[in-house]
Amino acid sequence: MKEGLVGIEIEERENVVVARVTGELDIAGASRTGDRIAEAVPTSVPGLVVDFSDLEFLDSSGIAMLFGLARTLGGRRQQLGVVAPPGGPIARVLEIVEFERAAPVHGELETAVAEIAR
Amino acid sequence: MRALPELFDLRVKARSLAYLFTAGAGLGLVTLAFPHDEDVKDLQLVLLAGVAVAIAGVVYIQAERIRGWQLHLALGLGTLILTFANYYVGQSSLYPLLYTWTALYAFYFFPLGTALAHVAFIGLCYAVLLVSQEPASPVVRLLLAVGTPVVAGLLISRLLERIGVEAGHADERERALRQSEARTRLVLDSAPDAFITLDRDGIITTWNVAAEQMFGWSAIEAIGKPMRGLIIPPEFRARHDERREAIVADPAPVVTQLYDVVFERRDGSRFDSEATVSRIVVGDDVIISGFVRDMTERHRRQEEREELLRAQAARTEAERVADMVSGIQALVDAAHRSLNLGKIVSDLVAGVQGVLGADAATIFLADEDESLRIGASSSGTVPASVPPFPFGEGFAGRVARSREPVFVQNPDPDMLSDPGLLELEIDSLLGVPLLAQDAVIGVLVVYASRPDRFTADALGMLRLAADRVALAISHARVYEREHHMAETLQRSLLPEKLPKVPGLDIAADYQPAATEEGVGGDWFDVIPIPGGSAGLVMGDVAGKGLAAASMVGRLRSALRAYALEGHDPAMVVQQLNRLVWTDVGESQMVTLLYVVVDPTEGVARWVNAGHPPPLLLGGNGSPRFLEGGTSVPLGVLPFPSYEESSAAMEPGSSLVLYTDGLVEVPGAHIDDGMSRLMKQVDGAPENPKALCQYLLGSMVPDGAPDDVALLTLRSVPMSDQFRVTFPNDPESLALMRGLLRRWLRHLGGADQEIAEITTACGEAATNAIEHAGSGRAAPYEVSGRCRERDVEITVRDFGAWRPPRGGDQGRGLALMRALMVTVEVTPTREGTTVRLRRTLEGKGGPE
Repeated sequence: MKEGLVGIEIEERENVVVARVTGELDIAGASRTGDRIAEAVPTSVPGLVVDFSDLEFLDSSGIAMLFGLARTLGGRRQQLGVVAPPGGPIARVLEIVEFERAAPVHGELETAVAEIAR
Repeated sequence: MRALPELFDLRVKARSLAYLFTAGAGLGLVTLAFPHDEDVKDLQLVLLAGVAVAIAGVVYIQAERIRGWQLHLALGLGTLILTFANYYVGQSSLYPLLYTWTALYAFYFFPLGTALAHVAFIGLCYAVLLVSQEPASPVVRLLLAVGTPVVAGLLISRLLERIGVEAGHADERERALRQSEARTRLVLDSAPDAFITLDRDGIITTWNVAAEQMFGWSAIEAIGKPMRGLIIPPEFRARHDERREAIVADPAPVVTQLYDVVFERRDGSRFDSEATVSRIVVGDDVIISGFVRDMTERHRRQEEREELLRAQAARTEAERVADMVSGIQALVDAAHRSLNLGKIVSDLVAGVQGVLGADAATIFLADEDESLRIGASSSGTVPASVPPFPFGEGFAGRVARSREPVFVQNPDPDMLSDPGLLELEIDSLLGVPLLAQDAVIGVLVVYASRPDRFTADALGMLRLAADRVALAISHARVYEREHHMAETLQRSLLPEKLPKVPGLDIAADYQPAATEEGVGGDWFDVIPIPGGSAGLVMGDVAGKGLAAASMVGRLRSALRAYALEGHDPAMVVQQLNRLVWTDVGESQMVTLLYVVVDPTEGVARWVNAGHPPPLLLGGNGSPRFLEGGTSVPLGVLPFPSYEESSAAMEPGSSLVLYTDGLVEVPGAHIDDGMSRLMKQVDGAPENPKALCQYLLGSMVPDGAPDDVALLTLRSVPMSDQFRVTFPNDPESLALMRGLLRRWLRHLGGADQEIAEITTACGEAATNAIEHAGSGRAAPYEVSGRCRERDVEITVRDFGAWRPPRGGDQGRGLALMRALMVTVEVTPTREGTTVRLRRTLEGKGGPE
């Protein structure tokens, strides 16, 4: 599934929804991407992992989307985890806006899924 | 009815006269053998008989050559000889009876008047004789001698005449028939038209000399063969059969048809002809006869004759009204100097009125639907105020319908098609049709308020004026139509305005062919493709004029649609080929070059369907033609394989796309033109617009016979600085980032710092887009500058700066500040400028 420059793949791992986002996430596609991911998370699952492993660009609109997802899931007592390669530009952006305060940022998908599935 | 004597020819008359003389001489000699008076002079009579026989001999021998007057002379001599014989015989004899012979001969062989003249001569001779002999009762002798042959001659000649006329008629009919047959054959054989007869099965039965000459088949070869196989071209044979059968089956007693037919000669050449075909039924037999006239020669002769007649008529007329010609010519010359129809017509109307001394003049113009409208009027009528009216209506309509000059006195006001005339007192109207190439293109009407203003000369002059006016108007009309068509074509061929594609400078130029009719199949287009690429199209549809233009229109829309669907160049061209192949059917050939340039990747990808190759110049390396990616032109094969080629386009490099008009010079090979182009671009200006003008100016001579389309594209140069303007659209952000990354890579930045600077710049650009709000979408500009390793990026917009309101905007500013060394935001009334600075560390991260 591709929204403009953004690609979204949804799957379930160990009862956790994994949304893999690729391409470049900016104001042109951020809010639609957030809506699509939120729709894909049923209330029955413990949580969601947004996987930015192959994302090439993230700006403040993408971050706003993540904060939005964190709020939605928090209201439903579900957990959110984000995956970003450590030391990369995405991790750097998440670090600058102190996203860790809203949800944990992992270096690997497995650890993120395992933490929520536990 | 002809008189009997004329039925005999001169030979018969001459021989009869010879017999008469011989018989007379013989009878005279016989009388001498019998006892007779003493005073009869025998010797003289024998001599006279000798003279008579001699004359008879001459006449008989010369009978073939004798003439009418010689016959009369001979008969007159006969009368004289008889008179002398009577003189020598003496007055007591019965010799005067012999006068009856010559008289009856005259009645029998000569017309009545001539016969009576001979009798009068006989009477005169006898009277002289009687005076010299002084016999008893000379008047009675004279009356009996002359009266007897007259009465007998009249009766006999009348009887003979009645019998002779009947016999003569029958004889004449037979001879006439024989003559007629001979004449018919002679006529047929000397006729310029081929004469051919066929039987009901189409077998040739007659073939005259002209047919032999016209078709190259002799009568012996042609007669007995079917006509269809001999002289009818194969594609017309079925029609020939149909026509022949229809003619044979036609129930009418006599059928005559005129056909325009194409025939084939023995040598295979063909000619246009007119065939007059008739069918005659004779009992059970059917004869189809036809005269075939070779029209090529006749058309030529007719044209020559008409040309001659025209020339003669023009000369005569010109001489007759020599003075007026100069006046009319002057006004028409003035008209020819302008090609604006409206101006020409109003100038003409004023001129004609002046030259003819009319009180007013109106020119009506005819439209193709046979209606008339006022072109110009000297009466003050505004042409547009009068609605068009059909041929036949009003005075002008009558002239247009009849195609002849019309003169009317004391016209009914309803007849005046020009309302301005109602104010004038019109006594007489004279109207002539304006004819051009046999079509009524208008009507010229002049008006006079006094009678007798229009003489016969006026009509001649008006006709003369009408000829020239018609010529001037039709020239102007043709020019206007062609001009209009050329304009329309040109508009449909070329994009009105080239779209702006960030990162690329694009310019185009088009030089139409010097001749109006040369406008046609060249076309170019620039298509902005989502994602930031530009699709460049340069094509050439074979052919010119309306057909080529409409083809271009269809191809242009189709190509745009395929390109915007996001297909690869090869797929776009393949789909276009399908369209040309299936839709057009006819062998329509289109050459096409389709290039997609991605400014962020710096790559040009293209497919070239039979078009001259694009020229790449600038960047590192010398100019080169991009030769790959070629295949056959569109519309040639149903499924040709199209494969794209690609080439790197370094920042600052340019592409030149063109049609063959740029490199084709009459008489020279296209390769020469291409090497000329290669030489020309050396030292050419870099700016695309200037490059276009430079190439057109230096490569294409004025008055070039072909169109030239030229499209130049330059990838934004990236030295230590760059400047690009982007449309106010979130979709433009990715392109902006792509170009920025490219520039930063060019400066030698490391991946991590490139990503960070790009993120900061993206935030500034996002703000710029949001500032414009939903109002007018002003573009924003991103420029970069690098000194040493210090990078300064400026993002300018033309909206109002919104202070951070927490959330996204606050985070955006925070990101910029965290990622750059300094961030300056300068809001002004016109817009906001964000200046971002950072020092490049250089390649430290993974490449």
